[in-house]
Amino acid sequence: MKTAVLLLTAAAFAVPTVMVGSWVSSAGERLHAAESARVTSSVAVAAAADESYCTPQLKLVLRRVLKSCGLLESGEVRGCQPTDAKQVATLAGGDFNALFMPMAKRAGVVEFDQNSAVLDPNDQALVDRLFSDQQGASYFFVVARASPEGSVEHNRELSKQRAEGVMAYLREKYKDPDLDREVGLLWLGEEFAQLDQRFCEWQRSGAADSCQSENLNRSAFLSWIDCQL
Amino acid sequence: MSSRHLIAIVFVAALLGFGFAAASTYDFAAHLDRQVHSLHCSFIPGLSSSSPGGSEGCQVTLMSPYSSLFRQTFWGGIPVSLLAMAVFMGVAALAGLMLLVRAELDLLALFSLLVLGTIPVAASLVMGSIAAFKLHAACKQCIGIYLTSLAVGVCALLAYRHGSAAISSRRAGPTHRQWLLALPLTALLLVMLTGSYVLAMPRYDTFAKGCGSLPHLEDRHGVLVHLPAESPNARKALEIFDPLCPACKAFEERLRASRLDKQLQRDLLLFPLDNTCNWMIDNAMHPGSCAVSLAVLCAGERAKEVVDWAFAEQQRIQQQTLRDKNAAAQLVAERFPELRACTTSSVTKARLSQSLRWAVRNQVPVLTPQFYVDGKRLCDEDTDLGLEYTLARMLKGGGS
Repeated sequence: MKTAVLLLTAAAFAVPTVMVGSWVSSAGERLHAAESARVTSSVAVAAAADESYCTPQLKLVLRRVLKSCGLLESGEVRGCQPTDAKQVATLAGGDFNALFMPMAKRAGVVEFDQNSAVLDPNDQALVDRLFSDQQGASYFFVVARASPEGSVEHNRELSKQRAEGVMAYLREKYKDPDLDREVGLLWLGEEFAQLDQRFCEWQRSGAADSCQSENLNRSAFLSWIDCQL
Repeated sequence: MSSRHLIAIVFVAALLGFGFAAASTYDFAAHLDRQVHSLHCSFIPGLSSSSPGGSEGCQVTLMSPYSSLFRQTFWGGIPVSLLAMAVFMGVAALAGLMLLVRAELDLLALFSLLVLGTIPVAASLVMGSIAAFKLHAACKQCIGIYLTSLAVGVCALLAYRHGSAAISSRRAGPTHRQWLLALPLTALLLVMLTGSYVLAMPRYDTFAKGCGSLPHLEDRHGVLVHLPAESPNARKALEIFDPLCPACKAFEERLRASRLDKQLQRDLLLFPLDNTCNWMIDNAMHPGSCAVSLAVLCAGERAKEVVDWAFAEQQRIQQQTLRDKNAAAQLVAERFPELRACTTSSVTKARLSQSLRWAVRNQVPVLTPQFYVDGKRLCDEDTDLGLEYTLARMLKGGGS
C-alpha cells in the first residue's frame, strides 16, 4: 500500500512536469528551425503605381520630357517651350497627344477664356479634382496650349502663363514641398500637338454642351502619370 | 450517495479538469514558436474544434492579456492554465490517495480536499467573469474547466459534510495530520511546473531588435496623426494603421491592456486597405476605410475619438459601404458633422495620398498594423502573445 501511495504521488509530480517541459522544448526547437530557415517575406511592399499603359516607348518620351523640362529632380529648368517639347518628344503632334489617351480617366482639360490665363472657379474645381487624386502617380503633367488666334509669339507666351497659372494655384493651395519635383510644365502655344475633337469626351472645365477646337486649345491639359520612370 | 462515491466523482472531475487545462497549456505552449497554430477547442478535453470558426472563442481567450501572468518578464507569460493543471492534479492525487487508503471519513483529508477543491471554483468564478464581461468570448475548454471545477467543489463540500456528520454520529475514522501536506505539495507541484515551463523556454531577447526599420522618418507633408502622450518621457512610436482593420483594433486593445501605451508618444500613419484611395491593393479589404481615414486626418486633437468610433463601428461601416459606396462618408458626416467641410476638401484628399506615399518612400509592407518604436519595427510575430515582453524591451532600448 505504501508503495502504491508513493508511486501515485510521484506520478502526480512527474507526469505534468515532463509534459509541460516537452511541449515548451518542442516549441523552442520549432522556433530555432523557423529562424534558421527564415526566408524573405512574401508580403507586397508599398510602391508607386506603374500602370499597364506605361509602355517602354511612353516611358522613354516621358523621361526625356521630364528631364529636359526641369523635372527628375534637376530643379534647374522650369518648364518646356514648344521647340524644346518637339525636340525631346521626337514625335509628331498627333503621336504626342496619343501618348496621353490611356490616361483619359486621370486627365482633364482646363479651358481658359480667350486670351486669358486666369483660372475661374470651374477651372479651379477641375484642377482640385485631378490634383487631389494623385494616388500612386509620381508625376503631374501640365501641358498648356493656345488657340491659333493672334501671333505665334503671343500664343507661346499666353500658353506659358496658363501653365504657370496652374502651377501657382497648386503651390498656393496645396503647399506641397514636393511640387517642383512632381509637376512638369509644358507650354506648346499654337505650334505643337493641338488637341482634336477626341478630347471633347474628357473631363473639361468648359461648357459641357459645346466643344469647339479653339476652346479645347485655350487650355491646360492636366494628368497624373501612373508610371515609374 | 456515500462519501466514497463523492470522492470518486471528485477524482474523475479533477482528471477531466486536468485534461482541459493540459490541452489549453499545450495550445499556449505551441505558440511559443511565434507561429500561428490551430487550437484544441471542444467540450471533450484534447479534441480540436469540428466546426470552422468554432475555435474563435478559444482564440480570443488564449490571445487575451488574461490568459497568462508575468508577460513582461517571459515571452507570452506563464499561462493561467498551467496553474489549473497543478491544482487539478493536486486534487486528483489527493482524491485518488483517499480512495486508495480508504480515508473517505478522515476529516483532515476531507478538509484538505475541500480547501483544494475551493481553489478551482474561485479561479473559475474570476476567469468566467472576465470571459463573459470583458472578453465577451465563450471558450469551450474554459467552460469545461468551469464545469469540472464546480463538480470538484460541490462534491468536495458534500464529502466534507458527510465526514462532519460521521463525527457527530461517532462513525468517523481516525485522522492523519499528513493529509494537511496536500496543500503545500500542490504548491510545490505548481512551482515545479512553472520551473519546467520557464527553463524549457527558448531565448527571445534577440527579437527585441525588431524586424526592419524606417529609412525616412521625416514628415514633410504633415501626414502623421499625433496622439497625445501621457508621460513627458514617452518614447516615439509610429503605427501604420487602418481604422477599419480588425487586427488594428485587436492590437490596440492588447496595447492598452499591456499599459505600455502610457510610455509611448504615438503617431498614426493612415494606410487604408481600401482600393478607392489605395492603388497598392486590387480589392477593398476594408470598404469605407478611405472615407474614415479622411475624418481621422481632419480631426486634429480629436483623432483618437474618431479612431475609437471607427473601431466600435467597424462592422457596420463596412457592411453598409458594401451596399452603398458612399455609406462610410455619410456615417462619418452623421457622427462628426463638424468635419464635413474638411473631409470633402481636395487638400485633405491629397494629404491622404501623401500618407500612402510616405509608406512608399519607406517601402513598408502592404499590411496593417505595423508598429515601430524609434523607427524599428516590432516583428509581426510579437504583436500578440509576445507584445508585452518584446515591446517592454524595445522601450528599454532592447536587443542588446
